[in-house]
Amino acid sequence: MRIEERLYTLRYKKDEQPHLAIIDPNRCLKCAEVNGVPQPCIAVCPANVYAWINQKIIVSYENCVECGACRIACPFDNIMWKYPRYGLGIALRYG
Amino acid sequence: MDFDVIVVGAGPAGSAAALTAAKGGAKVLLLERGPEPGSKNVSGAMVRLDYFTPTFDVSSIPIERKVKSVDLMFLSDNNRVRININVNANLANVGRLKLDKWMAQQAEKAGALLITKTTVLGVEKDYDKYKVITDRGDIRADRIVLAEGVNALVSIKANIRPDLNPDQAVQAVKEVYSLNKDEINRRFGFKADDEGTSWRILGTDPVPYAGFLYVYKDAVAIGVGVPMSILIKRKITPYTVLDEVKERLGFNELVKGSSLREYSAKVIPEYGFPSWRACSGKIYLAGDAIGLVDPLTFDGIGPAIASGTLAGKAALESYECNRYEAELLKDREVRKVVNSRPLVKELINEDNFKYYVRTVNELLHSWVYGDLSKVKLDVGRMLKHLLLGIGVLKS
Repeated sequence: MRIEERLYTLRYKKDEQPHLAIIDPNRCLKCAEVNGVPQPCIAVCPANVYAWINQKIIVSYENCVECGACRIACPFDNIMWKYPRYGLGIALRYG
Repeated sequence: MDFDVIVVGAGPAGSAAALTAAKGGAKVLLLERGPEPGSKNVSGAMVRLDYFTPTFDVSSIPIERKVKSVDLMFLSDNNRVRININVNANLANVGRLKLDKWMAQQAEKAGALLITKTTVLGVEKDYDKYKVITDRGDIRADRIVLAEGVNALVSIKANIRPDLNPDQAVQAVKEVYSLNKDEINRRFGFKADDEGTSWRILGTDPVPYAGFLYVYKDAVAIGVGVPMSILIKRKITPYTVLDEVKERLGFNELVKGSSLREYSAKVIPEYGFPSWRACSGKIYLAGDAIGLVDPLTFDGIGPAIASGTLAGKAALESYECNRYEAELLKDREVRKVVNSRPLVKELINEDNFKYYVRTVNELLHSWVYGDLSKVKLDVGRMLKHLLLGIGVLKS
């Protein structure tokens, strides 16, 4: 089953303000040189939030399941990672 | 309005802290970022009722099923060992949304004020009090409990503890499939509607992982946890590992005809207190925020409640940091986690992990085939880990 189909099962309220962002895109380029592709953030993410397209990291923050793995995995501390505001984001039934 | 105690996070640690402090007469505010307690929390679905009794009134605890057996599985290469353990202890399958709501309700009944949909962004010293900064404004209190979970952004920002690194964390993913009650009973061979089970799976392929299966009233959950450093090194995503494990276990056949109800993920901390501080001034940390998970027994909720209860008491009585940390180290649940750290560090090592899963397989298969002469045991390695496990060796 594709990840997008799995994510459809989640109750989700989107925060218009992204809670994830790349601090410096050049560091991602450096990371691709050092670590190869896919980079650590892409490997650990359970929700395909990050994609490497045309030598650039694309962040789909609305896919995020709020686990925090990408922040820990990034060897360049290059991910601005916050929680969605006001109870937005995912809401689990089973957890 | 000022509070005596503000608790950040209405999970097991936070609700235990809020309940304890409120029962003691403190004016307590319990802040939760999710729309309701439990809605942002992910965990395994098996608990021991003894966890709750020191803190909560368990007469109304919402459980899904009573765990009557636990299956332990070792999968390596093409070999498989499955051991079925009958359970006489008070183990139960639970759903976190209902369980966490129930714990927060007990804190509310004791007088704590619960406010949800509010994310705490930071804590600052404000003269003789603390200012808690949230996305809805600031509030002041004398003492703070940070039970903010594994992504302890507030504790990290306040320089009480560092962030985890990939060698200190396991990445877990979990799927829940809905299936009607009668089908679950039939497929798992349960004799009653409240009978349940849980599986523990240790496997080596495609990468070393620890897997689990739990049964709810009307659903079945399966998941895997993989050391984050292995995912990074092998460039494999956690859901790819889960899909392979499901295939190897024949899981898709087991839940045939059902539909995926929920997909979730969680980072499991494998490091923390006492290497990290659990306190600063009158700020007390508890639960996942200081890495209180025992990976050997898959147990995080027990130490969360134990440490949260202590944090609530510390906040109520304004403990100095050394006292809070000493009390934590005295607690049975917390000590279990602390004592297991040196062994966990060894077993999270890919080579050691694979060795044990393969050896259990080889040993039991050779025994079944009636020839134990070919089994070679690495006695030095096993002795070292045995001594670490029983606490004779310290690291």
